Amino acid sequence: MDKELEHQFVKNLEKHQNIAHKICRIYTNDQDSHNDLFQEITIQLWKAYPKFRGEAKFSTWMYRVALNTAITLYRKKKRSIKTQDFDTVDFKIKAEEYDDETEQQLKVMYSAIQELNDIEKALVFLYLEDKNYRDISETLGITEVNARVKMNRVKTKLKNILNP
Amino acid sequence: MDGLDLLKKDWKKREGNIPQLSYDEIYKMLLKRSSSIVKWIFVISILEFLFWALITIFWADHEYWAEMERIHLKEFTVVTYVINYGITFFFIYCFYKNYRRISSTDSVAKLIKNILRTRKTVKYYIGYILISTALITLIYTYFFMNYHASNTVVEDVEKYSFTPLQWLMFAGIMLGGLAVFLGIIWIFYRVIYGILLRRLNRNYKELKKLEV
Repeated sequence: MDKELEHQFVKNLEKHQNIAHKICRIYTNDQDSHNDLFQEITIQLWKAYPKFRGEAKFSTWMYRVALNTAITLYRKKKRSIKTQDFDTVDFKIKAEEYDDETEQQLKVMYSAIQELNDIEKALVFLYLEDKNYRDISETLGITEVNARVKMNRVKTKLKNILNP
Repeated sequence: MDGLDLLKKDWKKREGNIPQLSYDEIYKMLLKRSSSIVKWIFVISILEFLFWALITIFWADHEYWAEMERIHLKEFTVVTYVINYGITFFFIYCFYKNYRRISSTDSVAKLIKNILRTRKTVKYYIGYILISTALITLIYTYFFMNYHASNTVVEDVEKYSFTPLQWLMFAGIMLGGLAVFLGIIWIFYRVIYGILLRRLNRNYKELKKLEV
């Protein structure tokens, strides 16, 4: 039974691992931290898995546990290597896909995200993932109005960084 | 194009470039141990409970009980011990109940709230320890001095008695010493709390900032 559950879980996670990778990407700056956080997310998901009864989709459930891990449960380890450029970590996009200006713009945006606090990062992440305000407010445990106001503030903040 | 739209487009585009972990790599991770903040808080809290429980046990050796007997405080001491352990177990029970409530499938705000509540139980316990220690120390000092004052025979009473000013100074030094001792323990705990819970408190405040 346990083996079956394990197999089912790993299969599910393998299929939806992008969610965890993207969260790691928002919340960490280097590959080692990325791997650490990914591992902690996996452990937390696995610990909570017996309670997952398939009422929601695995991916929906995963967003919540993974974000909780990144924001609340994960303890950052002290590392000697400090920040690394966001886009040099592991998601390289070929330069020729964008013109210079666009590429520069994106670079500024991604490094601006790194400067946001944990909650603002969660808002940006959920926005980028096309989540609606109801989902966002439920995941974070705040009212929808509050979620809207906060989101608008973060958008303004990012826009200001982009067009000073 | 709007900056955020551009970002969203790029975000989606990068989706295909994310390096994938294999089934075996993920499976191996299940066997690793968690190092989550909840685990740390649990271990530290249990150590705190143990530390204070053990200190009272080691403190009370034969000599201690003999001295209590001599100054007629043995019954009082036994009663305070029973009450103290009763209250300690009550705190441990609350702590355990709160701990069980922590679930990573709750919303972010609820999860943080439950973790902070767990920690708060321990904080109240420490507060209780400090206040009860202060009270009991004062009660014992009073009885101890009372006992010696009424059982010691001195020829020249004048020579050994305190003037009001000296009494005031004595009481001041006693209370000051006690306050400093408890203050140091309190600061020590504030530092532990500060380090452990800084991020949680900050995020909780950030989430609740606009809530009425």
